[in-house]
Amino acid sequence: MSVAAGRPPRADTERGRYGRVMTALLRGTLRLDVVVNRVYPSDYNPLYYTGGLANLFLFVLVLSGIFLFFYYEASLGGAFASVRYITEGVPYGGLVRGVHRYAADGFIVAALLHLFRNWFTDRYLFSRDNPWISGVFLLAFGSFVGFTGYQLVWDERAQALTGLFLGLLRSLPVLGAPLARVFLGGEGVGDATLVRILFLHIAPASALYVLLWWHYTRLRHPKIWPPAVWVLFCLGLVFLLAGVMPATSGLPATPAARPTAFPMDVFFLLPFWLLNWLPPGVVGALLGALLVAAFAVPYLGARERPEAMDVRHAGVAQVVDGNCTGCELCYYDCPYNAIVMVPSPAPGLSRAAANRTLLAVVLESRCVECGICIGACPFEALELPRFLERDVKALVTEAVRA
Amino acid sequence: MRNAYVTGILLLAALALLCAAGIVYAEVTDRWFLGGGMIGVLLLAYSFIVLFLRKLGIIGPRRAER
Repeated sequence: MSVAAGRPPRADTERGRYGRVMTALLRGTLRLDVVVNRVYPSDYNPLYYTGGLANLFLFVLVLSGIFLFFYYEASLGGAFASVRYITEGVPYGGLVRGVHRYAADGFIVAALLHLFRNWFTDRYLFSRDNPWISGVFLLAFGSFVGFTGYQLVWDERAQALTGLFLGLLRSLPVLGAPLARVFLGGEGVGDATLVRILFLHIAPASALYVLLWWHYTRLRHPKIWPPAVWVLFCLGLVFLLAGVMPATSGLPATPAARPTAFPMDVFFLLPFWLLNWLPPGVVGALLGALLVAAFAVPYLGARERPEAMDVRHAGVAQVVDGNCTGCELCYYDCPYNAIVMVPSPAPGLSRAAANRTLLAVVLESRCVECGICIGACPFEALELPRFLERDVKALVTEAVRA
Repeated sequence: MRNAYVTGILLLAALALLCAAGIVYAEVTDRWFLGGGMIGVLLLAYSFIVLFLRKLGIIGPRRAER
Protein backbone atom coordinates (compact mmCIF):
# COMPACT_ATOMS: atom_id res chain seq x y z
CA MET A 1 0.00 0.00 0.00
CA SER A 2 1.20 3.50 -0.53
CA VAL A 3 0.26 7.00 0.32
CA ALA A 4 -1.50 8.60 -2.59
CA ALA A 5 0.19 11.70 -3.88
CA GLY A 6 -1.39 15.12 -3.78
CA ARG A 7 -3.46 14.70 -0.66
CA PRO A 8 -2.64 16.65 2.48
CA PRO A 9 -2.12 14.57 5.61
CA ARG A 10 -5.12 14.51 7.86
CA ALA A 11 -4.83 16.78 10.84
CA ASP A 12 -4.95 15.12 14.22
CA THR A 13 -7.83 17.35 15.22
CA GLU A 14 -10.00 15.78 12.52
CA ARG A 15 -9.84 12.43 14.30
CA GLY A 16 -12.07 13.77 17.04
CA ARG A 17 -12.27 12.92 20.69
CA TYR A 18 -12.16 9.14 20.09
CA GLY A 19 -8.88 9.45 18.21
CA ARG A 20 -7.34 11.66 20.88
CA VAL A 21 -8.35 9.27 23.66
CA MET A 22 -6.94 6.32 21.70
CA THR A 23 -3.68 8.18 21.12
CA ALA A 24 -3.40 8.93 24.85
CA LEU A 25 -4.07 5.26 25.65
CA LEU A 26 -1.45 4.17 23.10
CA ARG A 27 1.13 6.43 24.73
CA GLY A 28 0.17 5.13 28.18
CA THR A 29 0.50 1.52 27.01
CA LEU A 30 3.94 2.16 25.53
CA ARG A 31 5.05 3.92 28.72
CA LEU A 32 3.89 0.90 30.73
CA ASP A 33 5.95 -1.33 28.39
CA VAL A 34 9.04 0.75 29.18
CA VAL A 35 8.42 0.50 32.93
CA VAL A 36 7.90 -3.30 32.83
CA ASN A 37 10.94 -3.73 30.58
CA ARG A 38 13.05 -2.24 33.36
CA VAL A 39 12.03 -5.08 35.66
CA TYR A 40 11.82 -7.93 33.15
CA PRO A 41 14.00 -8.45 30.07
CA SER A 42 11.97 -7.59 26.97
CA ASP A 43 11.69 -11.26 25.98
CA TYR A 44 10.10 -11.94 29.39
CA ASN A 45 7.79 -8.92 29.43
CA PRO A 46 4.37 -10.41 30.28
CA LEU A 47 2.58 -7.63 28.40
CA TYR A 48 3.95 -9.08 25.16
CA TYR A 49 2.46 -12.49 26.00
CA THR A 50 -1.04 -11.69 27.22
CA GLY A 51 -2.58 -13.95 24.55
CA GLY A 52 -0.14 -16.73 25.41
CA LEU A 53 -0.98 -16.33 29.11
CA ALA A 54 -4.70 -16.71 28.34
CA ASN A 55 -3.82 -19.81 26.34
CA LEU A 56 -1.81 -21.20 29.26
CA PHE A 57 -4.72 -20.71 31.67
CA LEU A 58 -7.07 -22.31 29.15
CA PHE A 59 -4.79 -25.35 28.97
CA VAL A 60 -4.79 -25.59 32.78
CA LEU A 61 -8.59 -25.29 32.74
CA VAL A 62 -8.93 -28.13 30.25
CA LEU A 63 -6.63 -30.48 32.17
CA SER A 64 -8.18 -29.75 35.58
CA GLY A 65 -11.66 -29.83 34.01
CA ILE A 66 -11.10 -33.34 32.63
CA PHE A 67 -10.12 -34.47 36.15
CA LEU A 68 -13.24 -32.91 37.69
CA PHE A 69 -15.48 -34.28 34.95
CA PHE A 70 -14.67 -37.86 35.94
CA TYR A 71 -16.17 -37.32 39.40
CA TYR A 72 -19.01 -34.90 38.64
CA GLU A 73 -22.62 -36.10 38.66
CA ALA A 74 -25.03 -33.95 36.67
CA SER A 75 -28.25 -34.48 38.62
CA LEU A 76 -30.31 -32.43 41.02
CA GLY A 77 -29.59 -34.73 43.92
CA GLY A 78 -26.04 -35.65 43.03
CA ALA A 79 -24.34 -32.47 41.79
CA PHE A 80 -23.69 -30.84 45.15
CA ALA A 81 -22.70 -34.13 46.76
CA SER A 82 -20.31 -34.99 43.94
CA VAL A 83 -18.62 -31.59 44.22
CA ARG A 84 -18.32 -32.06 47.98
CA TYR A 85 -16.83 -35.52 47.39
CA ILE A 86 -14.33 -34.04 44.90
CA THR A 87 -13.37 -31.36 47.43
CA GLU A 88 -13.15 -33.49 50.56
CA GLY A 89 -12.90 -37.12 49.50
CA VAL A 90 -10.77 -37.30 46.37
CA PRO A 91 -7.02 -36.97 47.05
CA TYR A 92 -6.00 -33.50 45.86
CA GLY A 93 -9.51 -33.10 44.39
CA GLY A 94 -10.14 -29.88 46.31
CA LEU A 95 -6.81 -28.58 45.11
CA VAL A 96 -7.65 -29.35 41.48
CA ARG A 97 -11.03 -27.68 41.94
CA GLY A 98 -9.27 -24.58 43.27
CA VAL A 99 -6.79 -24.63 40.40
CA HIS A 100 -9.73 -24.85 37.97
CA ARG A 101 -11.46 -21.93 39.68
CA TYR A 102 -8.43 -19.61 39.85
CA ALA A 103 -7.22 -20.52 36.35
CA ALA A 104 -10.64 -19.36 35.10
CA ASP A 105 -10.06 -15.96 36.73
CA GLY A 106 -6.55 -15.90 35.27
CA PHE A 107 -7.94 -16.65 31.81
CA ILE A 108 -10.36 -13.73 31.96
CA VAL A 109 -7.73 -11.32 33.34
CA ALA A 110 -5.21 -12.33 30.65
CA ALA A 111 -7.86 -12.15 27.90
CA LEU A 112 -8.99 -8.69 29.02
CA LEU A 113 -5.37 -7.46 29.17
CA HIS A 114 -4.86 -8.90 25.68
CA LEU A 115 -7.99 -7.17 24.41
CA PHE A 116 -7.16 -3.75 25.86
CA ARG A 117 -3.53 -3.92 24.79
CA ASN A 118 -4.43 -4.72 21.19
CA TRP A 119 -7.15 -2.10 21.23
CA PHE A 120 -4.91 0.63 22.59
CA THR A 121 -2.06 -0.22 20.20
CA ASP A 122 -4.31 -0.27 17.12
CA ARG A 123 -3.76 -3.98 16.46
CA TYR A 124 -7.29 -4.55 15.30
CA LEU A 125 -7.38 -2.61 12.04
CA PHE A 126 -7.52 -3.93 8.47
CA SER A 127 -6.38 -7.56 8.33
CA ARG A 128 -6.38 -7.75 12.13
CA ASP A 129 -10.16 -7.36 12.32
CA ASN A 130 -10.24 -11.16 11.99
CA PRO A 131 -8.38 -11.85 15.26
CA TRP A 132 -10.36 -9.06 16.93
CA ILE A 133 -13.76 -10.51 16.02
CA SER A 134 -12.70 -14.05 16.92
CA GLY A 135 -11.20 -12.66 20.15
CA VAL A 136 -14.52 -11.09 21.14
CA PHE A 137 -16.18 -14.46 20.54
CA LEU A 138 -13.49 -16.12 22.67
CA LEU A 139 -14.08 -13.70 25.53
CA ALA A 140 -17.86 -14.02 25.31
CA PHE A 141 -17.72 -17.83 25.21
CA GLY A 142 -15.13 -17.89 28.00
CA SER A 143 -17.29 -15.68 30.21
CA PHE A 144 -20.35 -17.86 29.59
CA VAL A 145 -18.37 -21.01 30.40
CA GLY A 146 -17.25 -19.41 33.67
CA PHE A 147 -20.84 -18.54 34.55
CA THR A 148 -22.09 -22.10 33.93
CA GLY A 149 -19.20 -23.32 36.09
CA TYR A 150 -20.76 -21.52 39.05
CA GLN A 151 -24.09 -23.21 38.29
CA LEU A 152 -22.59 -26.71 38.21
CA VAL A 153 -21.77 -26.61 41.95
CA TRP A 154 -25.53 -26.50 42.58
CA ASP A 155 -25.43 -24.68 45.88
CA GLU A 156 -27.71 -21.79 46.86
CA ARG A 157 -25.72 -19.38 44.71
CA ALA A 158 -26.09 -21.69 41.71
CA GLN A 159 -29.81 -21.91 42.36
CA ALA A 160 -30.14 -18.13 42.55
CA LEU A 161 -28.01 -17.68 39.42
CA THR A 162 -30.17 -20.17 37.53
CA GLY A 163 -33.30 -18.23 38.50
CA LEU A 164 -31.72 -14.93 37.43
CA PHE A 165 -30.48 -16.46 34.19
CA LEU A 166 -33.96 -17.76 33.42
CA GLY A 167 -35.27 -14.24 34.02
CA LEU A 168 -32.73 -12.88 31.54
CA LEU A 169 -33.64 -15.57 28.99
CA ARG A 170 -37.38 -14.94 29.34
CA SER A 171 -36.86 -11.22 28.84
CA LEU A 172 -35.73 -11.91 25.27
CA PRO A 173 -38.50 -11.06 22.81
CA VAL A 174 -40.11 -13.98 20.90
CA LEU A 175 -37.32 -16.51 21.56
CA GLY A 176 -37.14 -16.02 25.33
CA ALA A 177 -39.79 -18.47 26.53
CA PRO A 178 -38.81 -21.34 24.15
CA LEU A 179 -35.14 -20.91 25.03
CA ALA A 180 -35.96 -21.03 28.73
CA ARG A 181 -37.89 -24.29 28.19
CA VAL A 182 -34.96 -25.78 26.26
CA PHE A 183 -32.58 -24.72 29.03
CA LEU A 184 -34.75 -26.24 31.75
CA GLY A 185 -35.49 -29.45 29.86
CA GLY A 186 -39.02 -29.42 31.26
CA GLU A 187 -41.38 -27.19 33.15
CA GLY A 188 -39.08 -26.61 36.09
CA VAL A 189 -35.51 -27.13 37.26
CA GLY A 190 -34.73 -30.85 37.27
CA ASP A 191 -32.05 -33.41 36.47
CA ALA A 192 -32.31 -32.49 32.79
CA THR A 193 -31.39 -28.88 33.65
CA LEU A 194 -28.12 -29.95 35.27
CA VAL A 195 -27.28 -32.09 32.22
CA ARG A 196 -27.88 -29.04 30.02
CA ILE A 197 -25.76 -26.82 32.27
CA LEU A 198 -22.94 -29.38 32.07
CA PHE A 199 -23.30 -29.38 28.30
CA LEU A 200 -23.28 -25.58 28.24
CA HIS A 201 -20.09 -25.69 30.30
CA ILE A 202 -18.19 -28.21 28.18
CA ALA A 203 -19.40 -27.51 24.64
CA PRO A 204 -18.50 -23.78 24.53
CA ALA A 205 -15.22 -24.64 26.30
CA SER A 206 -14.41 -27.08 23.48
CA ALA A 207 -15.49 -24.46 20.95
CA LEU A 208 -12.84 -22.15 22.40
CA TYR A 209 -10.17 -24.19 20.60
CA VAL A 210 -12.02 -23.88 17.29
CA LEU A 211 -12.23 -20.14 17.89
CA LEU A 212 -8.51 -20.10 18.72
CA TRP A 213 -7.78 -21.70 15.36
CA TRP A 214 -9.81 -18.89 13.75
CA HIS A 215 -7.99 -16.38 15.96
CA TYR A 216 -4.59 -17.46 14.59
CA THR A 217 -5.64 -17.93 10.97
CA ARG A 218 -4.11 -14.75 9.60
CA LEU A 219 -1.29 -14.32 12.08
CA ARG A 220 2.12 -15.44 10.88
CA HIS A 221 3.99 -15.84 14.16
CA PRO A 222 1.45 -15.67 16.98
CA LYS A 223 2.94 -15.93 20.46
CA ILE A 224 0.73 -18.75 21.65
CA TRP A 225 2.72 -19.68 24.74
CA PRO A 226 4.42 -17.49 27.37
CA PRO A 227 8.08 -17.92 28.32
CA ALA A 228 8.99 -20.51 30.98
CA VAL A 229 9.30 -17.91 33.72
CA TRP A 230 5.63 -16.97 33.28
CA VAL A 231 4.44 -20.55 32.91
CA LEU A 232 6.06 -21.32 36.27
CA PHE A 233 4.77 -18.11 37.84
CA CYS A 234 1.15 -18.58 36.72
CA LEU A 235 1.05 -22.26 37.64
CA GLY A 236 2.62 -21.43 41.00
CA LEU A 237 0.11 -18.67 41.63
CA VAL A 238 -2.98 -20.79 40.92
CA PHE A 239 -1.62 -23.68 43.03
CA LEU A 240 -0.79 -21.30 45.88
CA LEU A 241 -4.23 -19.67 45.76
CA ALA A 242 -5.92 -23.08 45.53
CA GLY A 243 -3.96 -24.21 48.61
CA VAL A 244 -4.37 -21.06 50.70
CA MET A 245 -7.91 -20.06 49.67
CA PRO A 246 -9.63 -23.31 48.62
CA ALA A 247 -12.68 -23.08 46.39
CA THR A 248 -15.74 -23.72 48.52
CA SER A 249 -19.46 -24.28 48.02
CA GLY A 250 -22.29 -22.57 49.85
CA LEU A 251 -25.29 -24.32 51.35
CA PRO A 252 -26.82 -27.01 49.14
CA ALA A 253 -29.63 -25.88 46.88
CA THR A 254 -33.10 -26.95 47.99
CA PRO A 255 -36.47 -26.31 46.36
CA ALA A 256 -37.56 -24.42 49.48
CA ALA A 257 -34.50 -22.17 49.56
CA ARG A 258 -34.98 -18.61 48.29
CA PRO A 259 -31.49 -17.10 48.51
CA THR A 260 -31.53 -13.32 48.19
CA ALA A 261 -27.79 -12.71 48.33
CA PHE A 262 -24.68 -14.59 47.24
CA PRO A 263 -20.92 -14.00 47.00
CA MET A 264 -20.10 -12.00 43.88
CA ASP A 265 -17.42 -12.82 41.33
CA VAL A 266 -16.42 -9.70 39.40
CA PHE A 267 -15.15 -11.67 36.41
CA PHE A 268 -18.16 -13.85 35.66
CA LEU A 269 -21.16 -12.65 37.59
CA LEU A 270 -21.12 -8.89 37.04
CA PRO A 271 -24.29 -8.82 34.87
CA PHE A 272 -26.21 -10.44 37.74
CA TRP A 273 -25.03 -7.69 40.07
CA LEU A 274 -26.68 -5.18 37.75
CA LEU A 275 -29.98 -7.00 38.29
CA ASN A 276 -30.06 -5.39 41.73
CA TRP A 277 -31.08 -2.14 40.04
CA LEU A 278 -32.14 -2.92 36.50
CA PRO A 279 -34.88 -5.18 35.11
CA PRO A 280 -33.70 -8.33 33.24
CA GLY A 281 -34.72 -6.93 29.85
CA VAL A 282 -32.50 -3.88 30.29
CA VAL A 283 -29.53 -5.96 31.47
CA GLY A 284 -29.99 -8.31 28.49
CA ALA A 285 -30.15 -5.34 26.13
CA LEU A 286 -27.01 -3.85 27.72
CA LEU A 287 -25.12 -7.15 27.27
CA GLY A 288 -26.25 -7.33 23.63
CA ALA A 289 -25.25 -3.71 23.02
CA LEU A 290 -21.84 -4.33 24.62
CA LEU A 291 -21.26 -7.33 22.34
CA VAL A 292 -22.30 -5.40 19.22
CA ALA A 293 -20.08 -2.46 20.23
CA ALA A 294 -17.12 -4.83 20.73
CA PHE A 295 -17.66 -6.29 17.24
CA ALA A 296 -17.89 -2.79 15.78
CA VAL A 297 -14.62 -1.49 17.27
CA PRO A 298 -12.45 -2.25 14.18
CA TYR A 299 -14.87 -0.29 12.02
CA LEU A 300 -15.50 2.69 14.30
CA GLY A 301 -14.31 6.07 13.19
CA ALA A 302 -13.43 7.36 9.75
CA ARG A 303 -9.69 7.00 10.28
CA GLU A 304 -9.95 3.22 10.12
CA ARG A 305 -11.01 3.26 6.47
CA PRO A 306 -8.19 2.98 3.91
CA GLU A 307 -9.47 6.02 1.99
CA ALA A 308 -9.52 8.08 5.16
CA MET A 309 -5.93 7.08 5.87
CA ASP A 310 -5.00 8.10 2.32
CA VAL A 311 -4.11 4.52 1.50
CA ARG A 312 -4.41 3.46 -2.10
CA HIS A 313 -6.19 0.22 -3.08
CA ALA A 314 -3.43 -1.76 -4.76
CA GLY A 315 -5.19 -5.02 -5.65
CA VAL A 316 -4.45 -8.52 -4.39
CA ALA A 317 -0.87 -9.68 -5.09
CA GLN A 318 -0.42 -11.85 -8.17
CA VAL A 319 2.25 -14.40 -8.95
CA VAL A 320 4.03 -14.02 -12.29
CA ASP A 321 4.06 -17.73 -13.09
CA GLY A 322 7.00 -17.72 -15.49
CA ASN A 323 9.34 -15.99 -13.01
CA CYS A 324 8.52 -17.93 -9.82
CA THR A 325 11.41 -20.20 -8.77
CA GLY A 326 9.60 -21.78 -5.81
CA CYS A 327 12.22 -20.38 -3.43
CA GLU A 328 9.61 -19.83 -0.68
CA LEU A 329 10.97 -16.40 0.36
CA CYS A 330 7.56 -14.78 -0.11
CA TYR A 331 5.93 -17.67 1.77
CA TYR A 332 8.14 -17.06 4.79
CA ASP A 333 7.87 -13.28 4.66
CA CYS A 334 4.11 -12.89 4.30
CA PRO A 335 2.83 -11.88 7.76
CA TYR A 336 -0.75 -12.79 6.87
CA ASN A 337 -0.26 -16.41 5.79
CA ALA A 338 -1.60 -15.36 2.40
CA ILE A 339 0.94 -17.29 0.31
CA VAL A 340 1.10 -21.07 0.07
CA MET A 341 3.54 -23.21 -1.91
CA VAL A 342 2.08 -25.89 -4.16
CA PRO A 343 3.82 -28.52 -6.35
CA SER A 344 4.75 -26.83 -9.61
CA PRO A 345 2.66 -28.16 -12.50
CA ALA A 346 5.30 -27.08 -15.07
CA PRO A 347 8.76 -25.48 -15.17
CA GLY A 348 9.00 -21.68 -15.20
CA LEU A 349 10.03 -19.62 -18.18
CA SER A 350 13.10 -17.85 -16.79
CA ARG A 351 16.40 -19.66 -16.39
CA ALA A 352 16.19 -19.44 -12.59
CA ALA A 353 12.69 -20.92 -12.63
CA ALA A 354 13.45 -23.74 -15.06
CA ASN A 355 14.06 -26.39 -12.36
CA ARG A 356 11.52 -25.32 -9.81
CA THR A 357 9.55 -27.91 -7.86
CA LEU A 358 7.21 -25.50 -6.06
CA LEU A 359 5.04 -22.60 -7.13
CA ALA A 360 3.77 -19.73 -4.98
CA VAL A 361 0.01 -19.19 -4.88
CA VAL A 362 -1.69 -16.17 -3.29
CA LEU A 363 -4.80 -16.80 -1.18
CA GLU A 364 -6.90 -13.81 -2.15
CA SER A 365 -9.04 -13.89 0.97
CA ARG A 366 -5.98 -13.35 3.15
CA CYS A 367 -3.97 -10.89 1.05
CA VAL A 368 -4.04 -7.35 2.42
CA GLU A 369 -2.17 -5.84 -0.55
CA CYS A 370 0.74 -4.75 1.64
CA GLY A 371 3.44 -5.51 -0.95
CA ILE A 372 5.82 -7.27 1.48
CA CYS A 373 5.99 -10.31 -0.82
CA ILE A 374 7.11 -8.10 -3.67
CA GLY A 375 10.02 -6.85 -1.59
CA ALA A 376 10.82 -10.42 -0.58
CA CYS A 377 10.97 -11.79 -4.13
CA PRO A 378 14.35 -11.38 -5.88
CA PHE A 379 12.97 -12.76 -9.16
CA GLU A 380 10.22 -10.21 -9.88
CA ALA A 381 7.69 -12.99 -9.64
CA LEU A 382 5.10 -11.06 -7.66
CA GLU A 383 3.24 -7.84 -8.38
CA LEU A 384 0.36 -5.74 -7.17
CA PRO A 385 -1.70 -5.44 -10.35
CA ARG A 386 -2.97 -1.93 -9.62
CA PHE A 387 0.30 -0.66 -8.27
CA LEU A 388 3.16 -1.66 -10.52
CA GLU A 389 6.83 -0.90 -10.20
CA ARG A 390 6.56 1.98 -12.65
CA ASP A 391 3.94 3.59 -10.36
CA VAL A 392 6.36 3.44 -7.45
CA LYS A 393 9.13 4.94 -9.59
CA ALA A 394 6.80 7.72 -10.70
CA LEU A 395 5.87 8.51 -7.11
CA VAL A 396 9.49 8.50 -5.98
CA THR A 397 10.49 10.75 -8.89
CA GLU A 398 7.64 13.12 -8.10
CA ALA A 399 8.62 13.21 -4.43
CA VAL A 400 12.29 13.86 -5.26
CA ARG A 401 11.36 16.70 -7.57
CA ALA A 402 9.08 18.24 -4.99
CA MET B 1 23.90 -6.42 41.37
CA ARG B 2 25.32 -9.76 40.25
CA ASN B 3 25.93 -10.77 43.87
CA ALA B 4 22.36 -9.83 44.76
CA TYR B 5 21.01 -12.10 42.02
CA VAL B 6 23.27 -14.98 43.06
CA THR B 7 22.19 -14.56 46.68
CA GLY B 8 18.56 -14.44 45.55
CA ILE B 9 18.97 -17.67 43.59
CA LEU B 10 20.56 -19.42 46.57
CA LEU B 11 17.80 -18.26 48.92
CA LEU B 12 15.09 -19.29 46.48
CA ALA B 13 16.75 -22.66 45.96
CA ALA B 14 16.74 -23.16 49.74
CA LEU B 15 13.07 -22.15 49.85
CA ALA B 16 12.32 -24.60 47.01
CA LEU B 17 14.07 -27.36 48.98
CA LEU B 18 11.95 -26.55 52.02
CA CYS B 19 8.83 -26.67 49.87
CA ALA B 20 9.84 -30.04 48.45
CA ALA B 21 10.13 -31.32 52.03
CA GLY B 22 6.77 -29.70 52.78
CA ILE B 23 5.16 -31.49 49.83
CA VAL B 24 6.41 -34.83 51.14
CA TYR B 25 5.18 -33.98 54.65
CA ALA B 26 1.76 -32.93 53.32
CA GLU B 27 1.48 -36.12 51.31
CA VAL B 28 2.38 -38.31 54.28
CA THR B 29 -0.14 -36.54 56.54
CA ASP B 30 -2.86 -36.26 53.86
CA ARG B 31 -2.88 -32.44 54.07
CA TRP B 32 -3.66 -31.96 50.43
CA PHE B 33 -4.22 -28.22 50.48
CA LEU B 34 -0.93 -27.68 52.29
CA GLY B 35 0.74 -29.81 49.62
CA GLY B 36 -0.90 -27.73 46.92
CA GLY B 37 0.23 -24.49 48.51
CA MET B 38 3.77 -25.88 48.75
CA ILE B 39 3.69 -26.81 45.05
CA GLY B 40 2.61 -23.23 44.34
CA VAL B 41 5.43 -21.66 46.35
CA LEU B 42 7.93 -24.08 44.77
CA LEU B 43 6.85 -23.10 41.26
CA LEU B 44 6.92 -19.40 42.14
CA ALA B 45 10.44 -19.81 43.53
CA TYR B 46 11.48 -21.58 40.31
CA SER B 47 10.01 -18.76 38.23
CA PHE B 48 12.10 -16.17 40.06
CA ILE B 49 15.20 -18.38 39.80
CA VAL B 50 14.70 -18.49 36.02
CA LEU B 51 14.27 -14.70 35.98
CA PHE B 52 17.45 -14.13 37.99
CA LEU B 53 19.39 -16.56 35.78
CA ARG B 54 18.19 -14.53 32.80
CA LYS B 55 19.23 -11.29 34.48
CA LEU B 56 22.66 -12.82 35.11
CA GLY B 57 22.90 -13.71 31.42
CA ILE B 58 23.32 -17.42 32.13
CA ILE B 59 20.20 -18.22 30.14
CA GLY B 60 18.71 -16.04 27.46
CA PRO B 61 17.13 -15.70 24.07
CA ARG B 62 18.34 -17.88 21.24
CA ARG B 63 21.27 -16.45 19.32
CA ALA B 64 19.08 -15.63 16.37
CA GLU B 65 16.82 -13.52 18.59
CA ARG B 66 19.59 -11.48 20.24
